[in-house]
Amino acid sequence: MLLRLLLREVKRIAADHSLVLTLLLAPLVYVFFYGSIYQYKAEEEVPIAVVDDDRTGLSQTLITQIDNSQMVNVALRTTLEGAKESMYQGHTQGFLYIEKGMEQKVLSLRQADMVLAVNAARFLPSSEVAGAITQIGLTAGAGVRLQYLQKKGMNTEMSMQEVMPVNVDYRPMFNSRSDYGTFLLPGLIAMILQQTLLIGLAGGSAAERQRGSISEWMQMAGGNASMALWGKGLFYFLLFCAYAYFFLTVNFRVLELEILGSGWELAVITVIFLLSLIPMGIFTGLLFKSQLLATQLMVFSTYPIFLITGYSWPLSEMPPFVKAVSYLLPITPFLGLYQGVVQQGAHITDRLPDLYHLLGLWCFYAAICLWKMRSLYKPNAVAQAG
Amino acid sequence: MIRATAQIALREWKRILTRKDHYIVLLVLPAFLFFFYAFIFDKQQAEDLPVAIWDDDRSAVSRQITFLLEQTASIHITASVSSENELRQLMQEKKIIGAVHFPKNMEKDIKSRHPVKVAVYTNASALIPSKLVYKDAAGVIITVGAGVNLQKFMKTGMTEGKAMALIMPVKLQLFTLYNPTYNYQHYLVPGLVTVAMMMMIIMVTVLIFNKEWEEGTEQELAELGKGNAGVVFTGKALAHLTASWINFALVFGIVFPIFSMYHAGTWWSLFVMFNLMSLACIGIGAMVSVIMLDVMLALDFGIFYTSPAFVFSGFTFPRWGMPWYDQYYAAIMPYTPFLDAFFKLYFMELPLRYAGPEALRLLLFIGSTFFIAVFFLQKRLDKTQTHAAPVTAS
Repeated sequence: MLLRLLLREVKRIAADHSLVLTLLLAPLVYVFFYGSIYQYKAEEEVPIAVVDDDRTGLSQTLITQIDNSQMVNVALRTTLEGAKESMYQGHTQGFLYIEKGMEQKVLSLRQADMVLAVNAARFLPSSEVAGAITQIGLTAGAGVRLQYLQKKGMNTEMSMQEVMPVNVDYRPMFNSRSDYGTFLLPGLIAMILQQTLLIGLAGGSAAERQRGSISEWMQMAGGNASMALWGKGLFYFLLFCAYAYFFLTVNFRVLELEILGSGWELAVITVIFLLSLIPMGIFTGLLFKSQLLATQLMVFSTYPIFLITGYSWPLSEMPPFVKAVSYLLPITPFLGLYQGVVQQGAHITDRLPDLYHLLGLWCFYAAICLWKMRSLYKPNAVAQAG
Repeated sequence: MIRATAQIALREWKRILTRKDHYIVLLVLPAFLFFFYAFIFDKQQAEDLPVAIWDDDRSAVSRQITFLLEQTASIHITASVSSENELRQLMQEKKIIGAVHFPKNMEKDIKSRHPVKVAVYTNASALIPSKLVYKDAAGVIITVGAGVNLQKFMKTGMTEGKAMALIMPVKLQLFTLYNPTYNYQHYLVPGLVTVAMMMMIIMVTVLIFNKEWEEGTEQELAELGKGNAGVVFTGKALAHLTASWINFALVFGIVFPIFSMYHAGTWWSLFVMFNLMSLACIGIGAMVSVIMLDVMLALDFGIFYTSPAFVFSGFTFPRWGMPWYDQYYAAIMPYTPFLDAFFKLYFMELPLRYAGPEALRLLLFIGSTFFIAVFFLQKRLDKTQTHAAPVTAS
């Protein structure tokens, strides 16, 4: 019976080009398409205008060091107004102003000023640029202290020890370059897997209701809602297991992403995740009488869902209402487990609350989906239609 | 001509208000979605993130640094660990986002002029909290280092000013313009809202002509427009343009003021650019709708075309960091020039003239898509009337 239901689903999808596009083409196109954006992982060479009113050896050295950093691409401007205008036009993302007499001040042991203005409306590049130039400023300061101490008669080894008495040793774990691509891509891939499945399932289930074929579907399962649910879901389960395997092997390799944890544990949580998404998608679709409307609204769920999973913004910082919505989504505990296994080499046992949460949602969505299917099932409808 | 255009616009408004796939997307969903976006980031900044201390020194200095770390906005000390494995385990269990390690003999080394390294560990697979913790921890440690140097230099008889000049010969004055506190809500919500507005327009306008053919009302439409595609198109475009004004008013008149995101004096120039974007989206949607008579196929096209707009526009990840082919794709979406203009007009509060290049690009979208849409619509209307004529005659 399961096989008959599976074949019925295959026929239905083959006859509906919208479902063919969503379920067979979209996952593959999206995963390569979106993935390519972050293939360089980090943004580099952020254009920054520099106005050097000092024009000395020290200012030139500083500018060269800044330009040599991976993060900044120096665009020289002759006036502060020109530098501002360049930022206003969108050609540069900020400007650095080096005051006249900087070298002279430094040599005479007076503190000199350097002004850096960054366009923080562009969140990511501005904070990276500010960090990089601050670091160069600190290094330059250490160089000045080194020269001063050596002039005072200290040998190189001693003065090196004196220059920086307390240093920061930054050790970013599980993403050694702290880059955006390594952080975002695994989550993005999981999100593509979920959304293409949900949009396809919801659209397809809404189409069942729109075409009045729910009773025929249920009767093929002998009136057993559970059989009907998992018979229909079997096709999606097999298809999306194949996609998940493909994404986690081929796409991860293409995008140079690593799975730090156990592949088997990843397989287990992915299977549970897909099993919880199937009733959720069918239930959502059955709430609509129009395939068009179901598809339209599911598309608008993508960004809100991703934003409230806690992947990009900590769940602890969200209002209680938003947290409650987030806890109703299988992707929230799944991403907790998946991020742990894929990016941090954790075991499922390290995140058991997430596992119980995911299993609980699987039961919850299966229960409400079965209830909805039974409420829409009219046993006599097929006979009457016949 | 004007009367016919007005009649079609009025008829289109009636269609918007009576079709679920129109009014839910254009009038109901926006209110829910825009408030929800703003609500997610209501706290604006991530604060008090759980951090562990690994103190192998157990000295007055390590306790002082721990105290200073606790005073920062992002760090909240929640655990004490005694090894790297232990802190790794706590990160894997999602109990901490970072840790700070004070090495053994740190205080002694500082006093005996041996440099020390204070390690800052962060879980960089959670990038945003990780960067916040690092920024605050590094700030405290660098300040402590500067304090040590200051004391040393002053002990040699140096004045405080000269000592400071040695510690920081070049003082970097940092101005983070347009979002000085890196407020996440003020940064992200305007982008999310505007991209949703763009998607809503396209997702409905891909249905404006093919739905007429699906419902069999194309003859009525052709007659009302006197067979003139320009009139029919203009009437429908006017209705959708005015519908988009409702969302503009919702965003800039209600949502942004409620969440303190309204930038006074920017609404007029934003309204001009928003109209250009809306018209470009209407043009794209109408073009697809008239070419693809299959409603679901047109909707699928709308989904494929609009879904990537946010990430490709360069809002979160700059376009110059993307491969060249992705940059080309970004260029064929009206949201990209709109976003560039939006940065200038909304965040930077610049006069409208700075958005000239972006306005020109949007006008190119409008010109080309309107032309194609009207051309194909005329063909379809001609065909409709040719088929209808014998029926009417008989």
